[in-house]
Amino acid sequence: MRRIAVTGLGVVSPFGVGTKAYWNGLSAGVCAIRPVTLIETEGFRCRIAAEVPNGIGGSLRRSRADRFALAAAREALEDAGLSRVERAEAALVVGAVGGGMLEAEAWYWERYRGSRPPSRPTPRSTLPFAHAEALGNALGLEGPRETVVMACSSGAASVALAADLIADGVVATALAGGVDALTRICFMGFNALKLLCPEPCRPFDRDRRGLSIGEGAAFVVLEDLERARARGARIYATLAGHGMTTDAYHVTAPHPDGEGMVRAMATALERARLAPKAVGYANAHGTATPQNDRIEARAIREVFGPGQLLVSSTKSMIGHTMAAAGALEAVATVLALVHEVVPPTANLETPDPDVAFDCVPRVAREAPVEYAISNSFGFGGQNVTLLFGRA
Amino acid sequence: MDPKEVLDELRTILVTRLKFDQRRAADMTLETTLPKGVEGSIGLDSLDFIELSIAIEERFGIVMDESQDLTRHFLSFDTLARFITARTEAA
Repeated sequence: MRRIAVTGLGVVSPFGVGTKAYWNGLSAGVCAIRPVTLIETEGFRCRIAAEVPNGIGGSLRRSRADRFALAAAREALEDAGLSRVERAEAALVVGAVGGGMLEAEAWYWERYRGSRPPSRPTPRSTLPFAHAEALGNALGLEGPRETVVMACSSGAASVALAADLIADGVVATALAGGVDALTRICFMGFNALKLLCPEPCRPFDRDRRGLSIGEGAAFVVLEDLERARARGARIYATLAGHGMTTDAYHVTAPHPDGEGMVRAMATALERARLAPKAVGYANAHGTATPQNDRIEARAIREVFGPGQLLVSSTKSMIGHTMAAAGALEAVATVLALVHEVVPPTANLETPDPDVAFDCVPRVAREAPVEYAISNSFGFGGQNVTLLFGRA
Repeated sequence: MDPKEVLDELRTILVTRLKFDQRRAADMTLETTLPKGVEGSIGLDSLDFIELSIAIEERFGIVMDESQDLTRHFLSFDTLARFITARTEAA
């Protein structure tokens, strides 16, 4: 089976445009969760989120999410230094949920609350598959195209499925990632589910009270390792394995035993032919909901044993970026291997005694890690583990 | 940027974004008309105009206000090039 290299990275995050700004923020343990400006939150129990600052570029006729995706995808492709022909043959796999919903909501809001006709452009690019269309057309990607809609694990699943396309010999190169902009339906939905914390979220803390929403996009260029070497590409890491499983249990809650999470992590190890002790860091799903962090920590312990590895949650800094989360966290995991620094869990004050790991509270840790996993678990029990190895 | 230079950029956009044949794009002049149904036009429809508008905004760094009637600017390459030139100079 072909081995997979990561040869390009691109990010739009609450720290701004670019992989550099992202890593600077993460490694410094900066929390980018602030008062919401994009939508009206009067009367909500939670009024904060991690929004992407201005300066994304792109025509305002495009949805905010499309502009995130374009900036991140362009950075990843340029970073990988692919030729025009290599680009044209590459697969495009996009994890998406909200699509252009932010603009569609605003349009309907105006349309049905008086002002008519609405002053803003009629919404287009509303559905999740619209990002792939925008990316393909603007960046000259003419290979196979897939949109993965798997709730909060969409971004990780897109990386896993793109790796399969390369491993199976369908393509030599793929651009894979995820994107989501803040939307009313997401914010209000999570607010109604009482899953949002009124203060910046604190994953793995004894006093955690729920998640914070974020937004952004991340893309990686995946490539047949042999071909990447042959063309002299910069190799950030290898994607050594991945696991995808389903709880088949509940519409929002994870399985109480974390059985699907365990199988996802175990499958990733098996596919990489690695023993659990080879892995030194887990970039957790770590949403900071009481259920997720307890069950995830237990599942990690079941696979890797207690205390064995460092665990941290990127969501403590950039919030839960929904369909982008798995991709943004995959990039964080790759960068942790590259820089030999494990990003911290911000806002972690009082470690939960039920969590049997060092969750790297507040300050990044220097740690030369050989292999690291990134977990993503979506509503409906959609579990994805990506396993990266040092190049 | 003069109208002829703008026309060259628009030809590139037609090829890369609207998938026009290169030779057909090369035959276009400032007098060529754009909207579908107009005598001698290149037959752009409403979706083409949206794609073209996005490409123009991103290439020339201008914003076209959709609450204004833009139809008169999108009649021919000449009216479009003049509109773009005026906007880029104003920016």
